[in-house]
Amino acid sequence: MATTKLGFIVQRPPYKSENPKLALTHAIASQSVEVYLKDGDLVTADIAFIGDGVLNCVKNQKAMDIYKLTSTETHIKMALLLDLNILVCKEDLAKFGLTENDIVIDAEEFGAEMKTKVVPFSEITKMMEEVNHLLFF
Amino acid sequence: MRLAVFVSDYKVTVDTLDRLKAEKLGIILVGNGVYHTTIKENGNPSPLLKKSANFYVLSEDLETRGISSSNISGNIKVITYSDLVDLIFNDYEKLAWL
Amino acid sequence: MGKLTIGCFSSLVGSMTLDFAVKLCGAAIDKGHKVDFWVSGNGTMLSIKDQRAFKDYSALEKPLKELMAKGLNVTACEACAEARGYHKDNTMEGVKRHSMDWYLASAFDADRVLHIGGE
Repeated sequence: MATTKLGFIVQRPPYKSENPKLALTHAIASQSVEVYLKDGDLVTADIAFIGDGVLNCVKNQKAMDIYKLTSTETHIKMALLLDLNILVCKEDLAKFGLTENDIVIDAEEFGAEMKTKVVPFSEITKMMEEVNHLLFF
Repeated sequence: MRLAVFVSDYKVTVDTLDRLKAEKLGIILVGNGVYHTTIKENGNPSPLLKKSANFYVLSEDLETRGISSSNISGNIKVITYSDLVDLIFNDYEKLAWL
Repeated sequence: MGKLTIGCFSSLVGSMTLDFAVKLCGAAIDKGHKVDFWVSGNGTMLSIKDQRAFKDYSALEKPLKELMAKGLNVTACEACAEARGYHKDNTMEGVKRHSMDWYLASAFDADRVLHIGGE
């Protein structure tokens, strides 16, 4: 039984680039990867939003209403529902004048227990050291 | 961790590179990232080159852009795709494309 | 020898990032490594067959087919491809199509993973 840990690091803001959405959808895919693996083998996905990437976490996104596109906010909530570890850089939020009140912290309306964690960049560095592979988006 | 960071743009718009910490950090210049090796703006070399890291530049991408390997400063190792494969497998355990 | 998984989300034409990725796949295969190549997002454009090899544009179908003959494993994200109107019947022979968990499964036992995002 083996586990491979992947770190998804999102550094770009949403919508102009597909990268943030793809980071989330690929990370969410860790929930179904076992169909390809031996019993007991796992792939885990930790997601960190850094730099301009923290803008993905701003709540009240209306992408569906306006562009008929699933919002990045919804993808983040789906990830929380599936118990993925989501970290948001505290310093970068502060740089943009944002607080926890401005971002997606939970997905309680969907029954999610997991919450977004606002952490210092040093915690994100720790995550990067602990995972087996890094995927920068 | 031993981390190799690929820089493929001349204008680096994310500050991630400044924040990455590794026991061994390699910066691999590919694509338009190779311009960091020789282009000077107002006489100043790229600030990227001041970072504390092992620098590499892909020869095929230098030549594509008309830059001769002989113009590359000695602290930047000129490598081929074949060398790059060896770096990936032997020298660095994690890879990041910025 | 080891296994390299490369994921590339960049367009076929425009940034030459896919060109880089294909050449890197080739260099790794030539050295005896196993390579899995996943394309998603705009990178799925690479999976379309009958690309015209004009000299003014990146032309990757031929080198890709040559590398697949040498063992390169190329897989395109089915959802990303279908969203762009790329269907199974216009996919290059030899290129597989799977959902995103395929990429993670490839990363599971890779010695190295190089993820190259999109534009």
